[in-house]
Amino acid sequence: MRKVLLMGQANVGKSVLFNRLAGAHVTESNYPGTTVDFAKGRMRLDHEDVEIIDVPGTFSLEPKDRAEEVAASMLKEEKDALVVCVIDSSKVERGLYLTLEVIEKGYPVVVALNMWDVAKDGNIKIDAKKLEQILGVPVVSTVATRGEGLKELVLRMKKAAPGEVEKIVEKVGGKSGTHN
Amino acid sequence: MEKKLSQMKYEEKGRIKEIDQSLRAQIAGMGIREGKEVEMMTKQPIKGPVVVNVDRSNTSIGLGLADKITVEVER
Repeated sequence: MRKVLLMGQANVGKSVLFNRLAGAHVTESNYPGTTVDFAKGRMRLDHEDVEIIDVPGTFSLEPKDRAEEVAASMLKEEKDALVVCVIDSSKVERGLYLTLEVIEKGYPVVVALNMWDVAKDGNIKIDAKKLEQILGVPVVSTVATRGEGLKELVLRMKKAAPGEVEKIVEKVGGKSGTHN
Repeated sequence: MEKKLSQMKYEEKGRIKEIDQSLRAQIAGMGIREGKEVEMMTKQPIKGPVVVNVDRSNTSIGLGLADKITVEVER
């Protein structure tokens, strides 16, 4: 079965999104050898049943603690997974770091700019179209707690494609490999 | 004036000037990189972490990490 991984930092609404997408088909699992729980569920995507996994929150793919290790290794194990990168719209820059890391690894990605309402309340304006153009992957604004943007998110998941980091770097006029 | 992030005082503001190579990748995911403006929010006692505000959100950083970040502070 195809897998969909929900990834993002802690407290960006991954689990709310997960519960919305998986509905009642949820099983709680304990990752072997750790105390880090994650939930698995099922959803319908393009007339097909897919497994959706709520990955523990992580800042980056270079793990600093147990939960982050689990997140990084889950991604590593699921080579064919589609990844939904969930970002707190009021803290975009942080979220984009992880998103770029996932894109760099070659996974098909969809970005969910979640907590869109919070950003709006804080007078933060995000040009989702432009971001989509730069990243080369679908970008959808969502408010998971109210179910806003979820239909669009699922629709765009079908179109998730791997992005190309070199092209992204080119578009923003930066230099590649400035860190590490 | 330059100082370490760990030496900043409560409510002091500054701009990040240099981050030790060893932790650049580690804290980039927290929205902290060179050129970013930071404000010291809280310092926890007994060598506890510091809490700084970056891009309108608070992030706590271990004192050990904060020691390796250089900030140009406003006067």
